[in-house]
Amino acid sequence: MVLNSNSDNSQIILATGGYDHTIKIWQTHTGICQRTMQHAESQVNALEITPNKQLLAATGYQRIRMYDLTSNNPNPVINYEGLSKNVTSVGFQEDCKWMFTGGEDCSARIWDYRAKTHRNAAKIFQTSAPVTSVCLHPNQVELLVADQSGVLHLWDLRTDHNEQFIPDGETMILDVDVDASGNFMAAVNSKGRCYIWSLTPAKDGEPSKTSPKTKFDAHKRHALKCKFSPDSNLLVTTSSDQTARIWKTSDFSLQQELKHDNQRWVWDAAFSSDSQYVFTASSDGYAKLWNVKTGAMEREYAGHQKAVITMAFKDAAV
Amino acid sequence: MALYDNKLWLLSHIRNSFISTDDTGMCETVMVGEDLPKHLADELDIYRDPDDSEEDEDDIRHESYDIQLDMDYGVHRARSNTAARLEKLDQAKKRMSKIKHIKWEAPNPLSQDDIKHMFIKKEPKKVTVTKSLLSEQLEKCVNVPQNQYMEYEKFDGSAQIGIPTRKYKIFLTMLPEEQRNYPMIILCIATATIQELIGLILLKCSMSHGDFPLGPVETYGLYLTEEDGEVDHDFPCLDPKECVAKYGFDCLGLVEHKQGQKNVSFETTTQICTSEEFKNKFSKDNDTANETKKITEDLQLMKVHKTAMEAPLYKSYRVLIVNKVRAKAEIQLGISGEKIEIDPVQQKSSKFTFVRQKPVSHHIDSIVWCEITDLKSSASAFRIYYTPSHGSMENSVKGDSTSLQLSASFKYYDFESDHGTTEEIVEKINLILELRSSANRREYLATKEKKMLKKKSSAINRL
Repeated sequence: MVLNSNSDNSQIILATGGYDHTIKIWQTHTGICQRTMQHAESQVNALEITPNKQLLAATGYQRIRMYDLTSNNPNPVINYEGLSKNVTSVGFQEDCKWMFTGGEDCSARIWDYRAKTHRNAAKIFQTSAPVTSVCLHPNQVELLVADQSGVLHLWDLRTDHNEQFIPDGETMILDVDVDASGNFMAAVNSKGRCYIWSLTPAKDGEPSKTSPKTKFDAHKRHALKCKFSPDSNLLVTTSSDQTARIWKTSDFSLQQELKHDNQRWVWDAAFSSDSQYVFTASSDGYAKLWNVKTGAMEREYAGHQKAVITMAFKDAAV
Repeated sequence: MALYDNKLWLLSHIRNSFISTDDTGMCETVMVGEDLPKHLADELDIYRDPDDSEEDEDDIRHESYDIQLDMDYGVHRARSNTAARLEKLDQAKKRMSKIKHIKWEAPNPLSQDDIKHMFIKKEPKKVTVTKSLLSEQLEKCVNVPQNQYMEYEKFDGSAQIGIPTRKYKIFLTMLPEEQRNYPMIILCIATATIQELIGLILLKCSMSHGDFPLGPVETYGLYLTEEDGEVDHDFPCLDPKECVAKYGFDCLGLVEHKQGQKNVSFETTTQICTSEEFKNKFSKDNDTANETKKITEDLQLMKVHKTAMEAPLYKSYRVLIVNKVRAKAEIQLGISGEKIEIDPVQQKSSKFTFVRQKPVSHHIDSIVWCEITDLKSSASAFRIYYTPSHGSMENSVKGDSTSLQLSASFKYYDFESDHGTTEEIVEKINLILELRSSANRREYLATKEKKMLKKKSSAINRL
């Protein structure tokens, strides 16, 4: 029952959430649910673990809640409010200086997270359509904001300079990701198409340079998530076509299809830190663990009453 | 009662057996206010399941169940629904106050200083993890079988909001004795079936008693159970296909069904871990071994006390009475703390018809001795000594009676039964006699002693 309280970063945390208003923490190798936390009044839209593995952020309708991972408290410890509509994504600066969120109120926000400041609202970026996904560039100063009108914004946090990309007209972009090395940017849309840009770091004070690299039809239906593997060699996409697919970033050829009877929509995915395994979350109420090499399902995490639509995973190196 | 100097046992006895005959309510008022000394409560803690120490705050109060404070009486006033609701709101408020609330307010533009401090550009690090902790753990447990009850996790009602749930006290009868004394608290969603509830119980059980082998879900049944964990075997197990909401019982016992047997035998399903096995099991860990040894000893002690406690309770046995000419007749022997009754049983076979046993009843104080007289391979015989002059004896002048007179005043019955029953009866009667220690018995014992001395001295004289 006890999550390592000295939080020495040598622990594994897998959290899942969805439509049953609960968040579950799993023991990954046994599949046993270690802990269930309450997320009252709203489904869980997105989950993220702070870089120091102390807190878990969960976004829902009109609020962001923080749960203490080092205790067994089933209730949140911090509640961020004053937002309208659904908060769709959340993430942290790598030193926990600030938190970013994006939501259906057509905005992306920066929440000052430093202990000494009492003013928490730091920055807001308005878009013309509900924000579906926000991703922080590994350089920690650029935020990628995707919205329902098909526009992808590259927002420079230092200068507020913003660049827009419209890959496929008004087709809703559902997710955006940048790989850990900062060389690739990927976005997926509601037609199941995946767009890849190559990124080149610019001189100090200037935004990264982007150039379209490739596009391919990843799925026949909505593509819901895209995530690069930590070693940047793979990209996983999940879809309403009831599959998740793993692509090689060398040529964006299909390496593996992760399929399971009746798993329904596959909403989210997360790689292990050595890129050997991938977790998926799906509408059948299960989270699953797959072996990337063989494509075999290794574990199932059963316990949610309804669809699991989001997960957060923090691995450690041996 | 002075025999029972075990505080723990006494407390448990008071809690479970105390009966109040005071109707004024004054007794309750006085006793409810009484609180146990803390160290005793702590000592008792070893008998509590550490898992539910928080939920069962009430258990710390070792008061009789018979004492139920009437809410309307004296200083206590009945709480209205409003008061209860207010308290609930208050609790919710308290819970909320532990949560820090941060509201988004239109941000002022950040100063250059802030921007400089907050948004520092970093070089993306090329992280190459050759092996993750996850991979290592997965490799380590390739051959570890998956928990077979994993799918039942979803019926867990804890941490569920807005879904009706049911709370159960479950006694796990298949566990070793020292682990099943306290029920497991299970919260189950109300829409689950009995079988799904069983699966959830087994999942929780496998998580807390990891090394105990458990069978498939179908091999278990849930039975109505008393609060003290005694499974009620007069009723069949709850229908596994039915929804849990159909049944209103919240105290249930999980019983393992023997294979290929539809009817459950309760006597055989309860596996008792002998202290020897128990020691072996825990020999690895000395601390736990000592602790568990102590618990086992205590349990043994409690068991002895329990037998002693139950001795005066009425119980009847079917045994054979053997008359002077060695003819046998089946009778019903009823034993209680009050009396011993011998009732003839309607004879079915004509074999016994020539033996007529009249119904007899002896006050327990007229019974003086009971012993096993013969142990044959098939059956054993036992003898109950009594004095027929009980009652008149009370008024007659005691003392100065010669041994001759006394030996004539004691008579006996001979019975025959199987070994188990014989032992039980003899133990029961002797426990009752020991407790009562009547004048008749003391005289009988004195006579016996005199006889013994006589025998001895005559033997010496012959030398």
